[in-house]
Amino acid sequence: MSVPASSVDRPPLPGDFDALPGLLRYAVVVRPPDVAFHEGRFGCSRLLDIDHASLGEWATFTTVVEIANFVAVVAADPELARQAARRLRLHWTPPPLWDDHLGVGSERSDGRGAVVNRRRTDGMVRRYGWPNRLRWGERAGWVIADVSPARASLWVDTATPEALRGDLAALLSLAPAAIDFSSERSDQEETSLGRLACDDAAADAALVSRQVGAPVAIWLDADYQRDVDALGLAETWDVAASGGHTLDALALGYGAARPAPAMALLLTGLTEPAGAPAGRPARSPYRRANPVREGDESGRASDRVRVFAEESFLDEWSRQQASDPLDLRLRHLDDRRGQALIEAVRQRAAWHPKPTPDPVEGGVGLLTGRGFAYCHLPDAKGEWESGTRSAWIADVSVDPVTGSVQLTRMVVGQDAGEPVDRAALAAALRRQLLPESTLLLRHADGIDEWGELADASPPTLPAIDALTLDAGGHALPARVPDALAPNGTADSPVTMPLRLSAQTLAPGTAAIANALFDATGQRFREPPFTAARIRAGLRESTGGDARGARAASSVGRRRWRWVGAATASLISLGGAAAVGLPWKAAIDPVPRPAANLYSQATIERGRLVAEAGDCAVCHTASEGGATNVGGRAFETPFGTVYSTNITPDELTGIGRWPYAAFARAMRHGISRDGSHLYPAFPYTAFAKLSDTDLQSLYAYLMAQPAVASPAVDNQMRFPFNIRGLMAGWNLLYHDAKPFTPDPTRSALWNRGAYLAEGAGHCSACHSPRNALGAEKRGDDHFAGALVDGWEAPALSQLSKAPVPWSEAALYDYLRTGRAAHHGVAAGPMAPVVAGLGELPESDVRAIAHYVASFMPSAVDAAQASEIADHRLALSTATPPGFDAGERLYNGACASCHEGGDMPVYSRAETSLALNTNLHSARPDNVIQAILDGVVAPGSSAGSAGEMPGFRTDFSDSQLTALVSYLRARFAPDQPAWEHLSTTIGELRGASSP
Amino acid sequence: MTDSIDLRVNGQVRHLPLDPATPLLQVLRNDLCLNGPKYGCGLGQCGACSVLVEGRVARSCVISLGAVAGRDVVTLEGLGASGRLDPVQTAFIECQAAQCGYCLNGMIMTVRGLLNHCAQPSPDQIVGALKYNLCRCGTHVEILEAATLAAELDAAGVAPGGSE
Repeated sequence: MSVPASSVDRPPLPGDFDALPGLLRYAVVVRPPDVAFHEGRFGCSRLLDIDHASLGEWATFTTVVEIANFVAVVAADPELARQAARRLRLHWTPPPLWDDHLGVGSERSDGRGAVVNRRRTDGMVRRYGWPNRLRWGERAGWVIADVSPARASLWVDTATPEALRGDLAALLSLAPAAIDFSSERSDQEETSLGRLACDDAAADAALVSRQVGAPVAIWLDADYQRDVDALGLAETWDVAASGGHTLDALALGYGAARPAPAMALLLTGLTEPAGAPAGRPARSPYRRANPVREGDESGRASDRVRVFAEESFLDEWSRQQASDPLDLRLRHLDDRRGQALIEAVRQRAAWHPKPTPDPVEGGVGLLTGRGFAYCHLPDAKGEWESGTRSAWIADVSVDPVTGSVQLTRMVVGQDAGEPVDRAALAAALRRQLLPESTLLLRHADGIDEWGELADASPPTLPAIDALTLDAGGHALPARVPDALAPNGTADSPVTMPLRLSAQTLAPGTAAIANALFDATGQRFREPPFTAARIRAGLRESTGGDARGARAASSVGRRRWRWVGAATASLISLGGAAAVGLPWKAAIDPVPRPAANLYSQATIERGRLVAEAGDCAVCHTASEGGATNVGGRAFETPFGTVYSTNITPDELTGIGRWPYAAFARAMRHGISRDGSHLYPAFPYTAFAKLSDTDLQSLYAYLMAQPAVASPAVDNQMRFPFNIRGLMAGWNLLYHDAKPFTPDPTRSALWNRGAYLAEGAGHCSACHSPRNALGAEKRGDDHFAGALVDGWEAPALSQLSKAPVPWSEAALYDYLRTGRAAHHGVAAGPMAPVVAGLGELPESDVRAIAHYVASFMPSAVDAAQASEIADHRLALSTATPPGFDAGERLYNGACASCHEGGDMPVYSRAETSLALNTNLHSARPDNVIQAILDGVVAPGSSAGSAGEMPGFRTDFSDSQLTALVSYLRARFAPDQPAWEHLSTTIGELRGASSP
Repeated sequence: MTDSIDLRVNGQVRHLPLDPATPLLQVLRNDLCLNGPKYGCGLGQCGACSVLVEGRVARSCVISLGAVAGRDVVTLEGLGASGRLDPVQTAFIECQAAQCGYCLNGMIMTVRGLLNHCAQPSPDQIVGALKYNLCRCGTHVEILEAATLAAELDAAGVAPGGSE
């Protein structure tokens, strides 16, 4: 066996690593099925055994690195390593009994974290957390390590080089000075916010590199999110208080936790998790009227997390007491300079007391809010009076559809006891705030992200006001000119770039969290504040709490809670006539949403959802007709269904449908007027769409031109013409749950599943349906079906493709409409490919990856060629007894379908011997192609692959002879098709233009 | 269709604001007034409509305009020039390989496509290449002679226009 060629292009290597193709190895790590890090303790399923035989021939090209519970597969080619890692069978112990072993879910036995909870049940108790890893990384890319016995060089975009250096020193037994980092980023700003999982990838690469004695590259992408999730929280704080307008007691309980080192260290057991770095005793700047013994204020906590917890808590307290959060702090602050600073910031930001959160209207559809936070930390010598005071007011705007957050303005006051140049302070804020706010607010990778679009609006720097106090404690506010270069100090007497300490930046996170509460009514107690979390929070807030209802009415379009929950009763399908029909409420029409209501980004996202879902294919009556006006007929075993007008026409379209009605139709198959839709409209798949995608789709459809086109009445046979029966059908066959990712699968697979089972509704055609028209599941999922006169071939183990499909071939087919060993997309699949052409490449790759997981075991490129050659050899012999068919073939088909020495541009690239349709149990697709030809899906993209139709050139008997010949010659191992002339007659009649 | 499709025809770049699904043959004959390629069967069976796309022979009646966007198309008109004929054209004149002449465009373009790919074809290869080009008036023998001579002229490097 030869080395399988890489079927997927390798992303280019950074730096000069491409110069070492012979040396570099690629690794894929395999994590234990269960891993968790909780309150400083690590647990995972243990590796029992590696089944090396499961690699088979792949063992020749791969090395398996195994150290305790750390496993990696190494190869000279990334695709090879990935494939081998997929094949490798590992045996793990069952997951540890978390509850006994780690105490998850129970109170800490020493009661430290719980002390405030028990004592202060009369007051308010809140828990705040800080994650060990903020996210997996800033962008996907290679992480490369080259480790020798004396040195380690790493290419990694780490945000916390010192922490990573410490981990690697422990992992590799090297001096920290012998480890160096390089990356694309020249301005390596260490963040004070926390680590990213790229540190774990770097440690993985370094460990593997040491084991194999060669430089090793690991692809860092959203798959490393599993480490982010597994490593959990680094610190938790419980804060409790009682009292009222004035706090009677404020208790800080250090809920404990220790920071998690790189995953490789934990899995190999090479080191125990390091203790928390020694810190000074935590001390709150606020005076307590009636101080209680505090939970564990002497704990070795980081100021950053304590400030976040305390400042968030004070904001929560003041909201609950309906008092101004600044006043609350001023009442409990003795420090005169601190009071002056807060007053100065209050004036500069024009902060007005707002006892109850009330979002200020920003742009159309945006929620805006502002939040305050303050901290006072001692100087390097531990002196409080000369320490740093820092007061922040953050303004945010939140897009409720996408959940993305923009920092619009920051007012930052700082008093370090000595004069600080304001311009330098502002410059430092500019330089350090952007990376930090990116980490805090960036989109999380969700299964409903649309490639580049997710990053369409990267965080931009807010307007920054910096102010300081003079020696006498008087504010020296100054608006910093916007023209100031980020690193420039042109108009500043200070030439050294100011570097703000983590302490100075500490209130920033709390100020943003408090502003988010102001905007959304939701409290975010753990960073990062990703778009997905904001969206989830907003869903909660529209779920009934009074604050959410206010927000909805004030903006006037977020009443998206769906109306009329299903209360269908189970009906006996045998005795349909006696059934009481469940009744669904109509949702009142609303005026068509204004054209400028939705942002361009939302509408563009909706366009991609519409392309992925091929809305226009079914909702457009004829070629050249107006898009989405409906009227296309669908023959079903139950009668004829016509698609409806989904343009925003107010009378005949969906122009007056509120979002709630649209969402109900998409998820539950119930029209605005309360009547049931037939599942020819694949709401069974669309129910899987995420809220964001559904909202974007609504935005897109509402932004299209309205075209008046009345509905065509369906012609359903009794009893299927009773729409109410669909209630029972839904109860039996419809699951309206949105898509939930499978945590045991990769992010790529889950994205593919989301697209294929949701918007893409692949199974609507490719899965067989039962007697009542419901898709069969289980083994019948993707088992193929007959739709509208075409056979949608099986995408499962039942695939009849002469050459088994590989992921790479599926990708080629879906992206370009053709695959080397399979031919072109035709019939109803052609517009699907055209629609997919609008999607980002990564999405098409994800669909191919997902569908390939259902196919028979894929073959590599060499095996595929071997099978193809064999099939071609079989088909050269002309079968005897098919003379009439052979003559027709030679006259009409051979000029394009026969191979030859000479290259011919218009010749079919793929031999009929490899055509799936000729190997199928049914002749339908072959007959359809001959009758009406093949329109190449990518015809405007510059490809041949078209075929003229022969409907008027061949009689039925000629077609029968030709198709029989084709089957006998090109699929000699398949039985002859029966009842050919009947099928031909039916298809010619049915699809007659 | 407002989008323009660009392609190169006989060395000249053309911007065609046409439906990409239009058959290339119709565009060549009706829009560009290039009547070298003939309409025979319209189904890719007879070869009378043959042109060269990127030097390879193609049946223009079954190729859509969109499928040749950005490509280099040569018709019989672009093969040689007045007084500077292509060796294949020279050979067909030498051998008087035409009777009714309707298939001639296809025969000449196909032989050109063959020679582009294979400088010294065997008689079997010539027959194989012309197998799916239909001649209905019985000039097959002369056409095969012409193709053989064309290969010789081409190999000898006879400059275009060497016949007269």
